[in-house]
Amino acid sequence: MSSIMVYLQPIPVRIWHWLNALGIVTLCVSGAQIRFPEYVTLFGSYRSAIMLHNTAGIVVALSFSIWFFYYKFVADSLADIYIPKGSDLTTGLFRQVIFYFFAYFFGAPNPHHATPESKFNPLQKSAYLAIMFVLMPFVSLTGILLMNMGPMREIVMLVGGLKILVAIHFLLACSLCAFIFTHVYLATLGSTPLAYFKPMWSGWEKVEHHGTEHSH
Amino acid sequence: MKHGSRSLLTKHSIIMALFIVACIATGNQSRAAEFSFGDGTGKNEACIACHGNQEKVDSKNYINPTSFGHTTHAKFGCTTCHDTIASNHPNGKSVASTTRCDDCHGDIITQYSASIHATKASCSGCHNPHRVFKPGEISAIEMNKQCAGCHDTNKITASHAQWLPQAGVHLGAISCVTCHSKAENYVITIYIAKRADSDPEQKPELASFEELKKRSGSDSIQYLIDRNRDSYISLDELRKFNRDSANQDLYLKAILTPVKPTHSFQTFDNRWDCTFCHASGPEIMQTSYLSFPEQNGTFQQIAVEKGAAMDALHAIPNFYLMGSTRNGLLNKLGLLIIIGGMVMPVGHGFFRFLSRKNRQ
Repeated sequence: MSSIMVYLQPIPVRIWHWLNALGIVTLCVSGAQIRFPEYVTLFGSYRSAIMLHNTAGIVVALSFSIWFFYYKFVADSLADIYIPKGSDLTTGLFRQVIFYFFAYFFGAPNPHHATPESKFNPLQKSAYLAIMFVLMPFVSLTGILLMNMGPMREIVMLVGGLKILVAIHFLLACSLCAFIFTHVYLATLGSTPLAYFKPMWSGWEKVEHHGTEHSH
Repeated sequence: MKHGSRSLLTKHSIIMALFIVACIATGNQSRAAEFSFGDGTGKNEACIACHGNQEKVDSKNYINPTSFGHTTHAKFGCTTCHDTIASNHPNGKSVASTTRCDDCHGDIITQYSASIHATKASCSGCHNPHRVFKPGEISAIEMNKQCAGCHDTNKITASHAQWLPQAGVHLGAISCVTCHSKAENYVITIYIAKRADSDPEQKPELASFEELKKRSGSDSIQYLIDRNRDSYISLDELRKFNRDSANQDLYLKAILTPVKPTHSFQTFDNRWDCTFCHASGPEIMQTSYLSFPEQNGTFQQIAVEKGAAMDALHAIPNFYLMGSTRNGLLNKLGLLIIIGGMVMPVGHGFFRFLSRKNRQ
């Protein structure tokens, strides 16, 4: 068994990922100050927290656009990478769950090997599908509406009012915050704790080579 | 000099006596609308016969009988202030008055004189003595319109926008005097506003008495919301009003108004700090009032069940004061979601640690 280097994460994806990561963490912390100003004062004044939250929100919305544009129009692999196939749903999900919650503890290897065409295991695909196609768009849209209450008021009324809009934004944001904890932890489950972090920085992943399994 | 002091004293005594008589006669303020001109205090009816008729006097000299009849000034009588009126009036000469506002409102004048606004406008610059209101009897929108008489709305919005995010939305949800007077605290006042307006968030327009009366018919406007007629608005009644398809063209507009307005007009330092409103916490946000228009041009307030502003979804759907009106139930739900995200790192991490030797 030997190892080869696979170019897994192109530059646009890495830029999007780290912009997104920094943006979402900033949004979570500044959002906490906006909702709980009596307890969180990390960014100084309330106004600073608002300005930072708005700026980070715009950055994340723009980086989301980069992600979508790249995968849909440049790489043309959005559906292949993010939408689970039939086999993913029938056997793949189950196999991956068994690995994470049982086989992993006995030292079994990950049944999924990342390739540029199939970056995510079936569990990841399902999770990212929900995050990238539901959570991110809706948290961004609700945020954009909240930032533009005056001109977009009729849409806010259509949603059911400002209160409902804020509730949706808050609960989606909490879900994203919850995702970060899980995401960072799962990223440490590689052959070494940093094995999955490196490719997102350099683009290259070291993949164990079993015979002809990976020929690229 | 001595004579002058005595006459001033006598004048005050007469005014006070008249006021006491008027108070006893009317019982309490809620009966003010029942006051009849000429109730022994002044001979208003003779004056209003001409000045309450737009065909007899020009607009400058017209007094709306309904609006004026409601005021405390009416109880004193026209001639209390217009004390130099000649017996042959109208004689073509303007009627001078030796009565001044500070004859009765000395404490307010003292307070006002100390503010930066005093050099810019006299009492009549903001107040029409024939149409005066107690706090709560005037809508916040109308209070703001008085300010807008001198302060151009567009310029004010632009100057606030230099430091205040979404300035237009802020200015549409707060009365000017909440920040620009030394009001200790504020309260949430809920009005019935029209949705069809072109810019209701930033320039809200309230539904008029006549418009609401068409809906309530022979009933009081109050019962459009106060369905069980107990003069108390429950959260359930607010929700029903919001959900009623007959009210689709209306919405509940909540505005921050001072609990006790003062005439100390200036911008206080703590008003520059967003947390004056946004972190004052759930406690103060519990109190709110529904304010609806009356036929005489005033507004009447009735108490709303505590927590209307804090209600997660339906009580005042379009009022949200970030930080202050956060809903406790949503907070707990959000916390549960975040804790759910920690289950994997903590739970899986625990077994990962225990089984670490299996992966070496």
